[in-house]
Amino acid sequence: MLEILIGLLALAVGAGFIGSLSGLGGGVFIVPALVIFAHMPMQVAVGASLISVVATSAGASVAFVRDGWTNLKVAMVLECATVTGAVIGAYLAGIVPNVVLELLFAAMMLQSAYFTVTKRGDDILTKGDPLAVRLELAGEVPDLSGNLVHYEVVKVPQGGALMVVAGLMSGLLGIGSGALKVMAMDYIMHLPLKVSSATSNFMIGVTAGAGALVFLARGDVATTIASPVAIGVTAGALAGSRLLPHLRVESLRTVFVIILVLIAAEMGWRALSGI
Amino acid sequence: MPKQEEDRILREWTPILLRSILIAAMITLVAGLILTYTFAPDYYVEHYRAAQHGHLIGKETLGLLFDRVRQGNPHAVLTIGLFVLTLVPLARVAFCFILFIRERDYTYVALTAYVLAGLIAGMLAGSAG
Repeated sequence: MLEILIGLLALAVGAGFIGSLSGLGGGVFIVPALVIFAHMPMQVAVGASLISVVATSAGASVAFVRDGWTNLKVAMVLECATVTGAVIGAYLAGIVPNVVLELLFAAMMLQSAYFTVTKRGDDILTKGDPLAVRLELAGEVPDLSGNLVHYEVVKVPQGGALMVVAGLMSGLLGIGSGALKVMAMDYIMHLPLKVSSATSNFMIGVTAGAGALVFLARGDVATTIASPVAIGVTAGALAGSRLLPHLRVESLRTVFVIILVLIAAEMGWRALSGI
Repeated sequence: MPKQEEDRILREWTPILLRSILIAAMITLVAGLILTYTFAPDYYVEHYRAAQHGHLIGKETLGLLFDRVRQGNPHAVLTIGLFVLTLVPLARVAFCFILFIRERDYTYVALTAYVLAGLIAGMLAGSAG
């Protein structure tokens, strides 16, 4: 037993660590790690991953919320969309064939790689659209010199539509869909990048939680696998977040992209060769 | 309640809530793994091999689960730990829901109620499926 346990913990710590450094979350890395190295079927990997994603989101959110980076109201509005998608996705995950899940996963990895390469800079808006104003979504964010800068938000319905897709992918594939969420908030709704990342991380808990509850209630979580994975991914993410301020993550970006593309290729190949 | 006060409560209490449940879940999971290693290592290996073939143990009702915990069943302790972990988002949304009711911010009462309903519907859909 000890051998299996140490193997799972090592995989999970590694996935949590890389997920934290890349900003993509542990789910993107733990699902392929379980499928490729532990020879688990996609559904088992997805169930274990969803639960670990809830844990890492909660762990990382503590500091972001306390320090004011998370826009709580934006999160609450968009969670309506992600929860809808996640519940449908988790329900479908029990029906959709493994091969489709693996192909979808490969596509999501490529999307994450694309996002890592094309991250947009801050583009702070001073005027929000009427719906965003009515929902009081504007916030304040410190600039480089520590002064608070007011930002407004636009295009809530469009951002929400992409969030339904993010939730769907999360429930289907056991990932936080952080790359899609940040894209929706950063590209479409024009929130500052760090606010988008912190808010996405906060929302991931609810999105993955919705999926995890479906899996757990259905009895589709392998507890003996999900437990060490949740502990390991959380520990790895914690270590990554401690190390993050001392690393030049920009220089690691190419490494992350290569890892993502390789995993996408492996998952795609597994899916296609199994047909 | 003024908006700043509401924001202060959210920013002060949300991290405490998240951290407390996370720590409780992690302690339960570690305890469950230690119990499994001590009392049921063969069961663990058997369960792991079954999962590799896509065989899972299936649904457990909460009543059955607590009975097993009382009997010191390590697997049930692990399941409880995982359930506690999934309570993190549920508790956080419920906390916001109650705060918005207190503040009579009905737009956000409706939004958080929808998210809560979604989480509960997911659980019911899973139980039924």
